[in-house]
Amino acid sequence: MIKAVHLCKSFGDIKAVDDVNLHITKGEVVCIIGPSGSGKSTLIRCLHGLEIPDSGELYVNGKPIDFSGDTTKDLAHIGFVFQLFNLFPHKTVLENLTLGPVKAGGVPVKQAEQTALALLERVGLADKAGAYPSQLSGGQKQRVAIARALCQSPEVILFDEPTSALDPEMIGEVLNVMKELADEGMTLAVVTHEMGFARVVADRVIFVDGGKIIEEGTPEQIFDHPQSDRLKLFLSQVIHM
Amino acid sequence: MNAFQRILTPENLQFMLKGAGYSVLVAVFALAGGSILGLLSAMAKMGRHKIPKLIANVYVEVIRGTPMMLQILLFYLGGPVVTKALFHYVYTPNPILVGTIAVGINSGAYTTELFRSAIQSVDKGQWEAAQTIGLSRKQTLREIILPQAFKRILPPYINEFIVLLKDSSLLASIGAVELLHSADVLGAKFYNYLVPLLFATCMYLIMTLTISYFARKLERRLAASD
Ligand SMILES: Nc1ncnc2c1ncn2[C@@H]1O[C@H](COP(=O)(O)OP(=O)(O)OP(=O)(O)O)[C@@H](O)[C@H]1O
Ligand SMILES: [Mg+2]
Repeated sequence: MIKAVHLCKSFGDIKAVDDVNLHITKGEVVCIIGPSGSGKSTLIRCLHGLEIPDSGELYVNGKPIDFSGDTTKDLAHIGFVFQLFNLFPHKTVLENLTLGPVKAGGVPVKQAEQTALALLERVGLADKAGAYPSQLSGGQKQRVAIARALCQSPEVILFDEPTSALDPEMIGEVLNVMKELADEGMTLAVVTHEMGFARVVADRVIFVDGGKIIEEGTPEQIFDHPQSDRLKLFLSQVIHM
Repeated sequence: MNAFQRILTPENLQFMLKGAGYSVLVAVFALAGGSILGLLSAMAKMGRHKIPKLIANVYVEVIRGTPMMLQILLFYLGGPVVTKALFHYVYTPNPILVGTIAVGINSGAYTTELFRSAIQSVDKGQWEAAQTIGLSRKQTLREIILPQAFKRILPPYINEFIVLLKDSSLLASIGAVELLHSADVLGAKFYNYLVPLLFATCMYLIMTLTISYFARKLERRLAASD
């Protein structure tokens, strides 16, 4: 579905992503973990053209992505959920959801609204359609952001630390929505510090450090039988398991 | 007291009110034209293309680095000289028209910076979110960025209108029939400049204070919806 080959991205001297090969297949839930500054965000942002890789190739459904041109069409069916939600503050929840399908996808407004309302229902926020983002709690904002990503009829949704900006009591509601998506067979790639979530939901866990994939495997392999010293050190520092 | 009664006849009051009306018109059209120029040159400045960027930079620097009075005179007195040299065509410029164009071009240079800073103050996550839902740069600008920038721009933008209303008085020097010029005409007619100038002072104050009053009200309304 998404395949990255020899992906590299530097900021000045810092190699944020250093020769990464990554293949996410349909229906798979991949969690990306690693210490702060290890390049997790840069990696996942490269997969949606939010960072332009310096070198390497990206394929979506076998089609190579040309970063020198306009990538929006080719990446249209990839959803992205940000740490800080990035909802549009001057638009209602419903407008946040329908904007993409109507303006970019050419879907008629009525139809887009119907889909959007159904998706709001799915994330448990049907009653907030007319609200503005500033009137929502953090957890509600992130669930709206997930619904907005779902409006793209995505084949895969990428998450960059979707719960890191939330108060502890709101983390659960967002993770639950993500777990439901996983259970329904949606393909997910999630950068996260929620090891409990990764252990339960992930099919594959990827440990990144220094811009490189150090180790990957099933949750059992990564959490219970770590091989590399760096992963062992990292896991020992993440206490809340 | 006698002078006031002698000069401020209904007929002369109407004359000055008409001048004030023209001052407002000059400010409105200059602001509108200047905004279009300002938005275009702000886009050029932030864009990737070198030549439009250069043109926009030169435009802003030249206008902001020279007196407005000079720009007005250049357009008014210089225009016919240029057309004569190029096309052997001489014309008598309409002072209010040429003056409004000059003030508009001047305003555009200042609104360039207003637009640029307001657009850049919108969180870059907004651009990114728009990109991930498939919006083009143009759509993002229209749907997401400009509406948010507009809120931030409103207070300085209204201030720019007040500045233009006052600066339109510079057109008196080329004989455009705006408020200050009307006062000047009456002053010459009655050999008394004090009374018409005081009256013009009151008119300017009434206009600028009214605008700031409503601006503050609007600002509070917008802040409430955040
Ligand atoms: N826009 C940027 N400009 C310069 N350096 C950057 C930029 N974005 C990231 N970096 C650097 O690249 C490296 C990787 O950053 P990245 O944000 O991808 O890490 P991360 O694993 O997501 O960290 P965290 O867990 O703190 O979010 C870091 O050293 C960071 O300082
Ligand atoms: Mg990060």
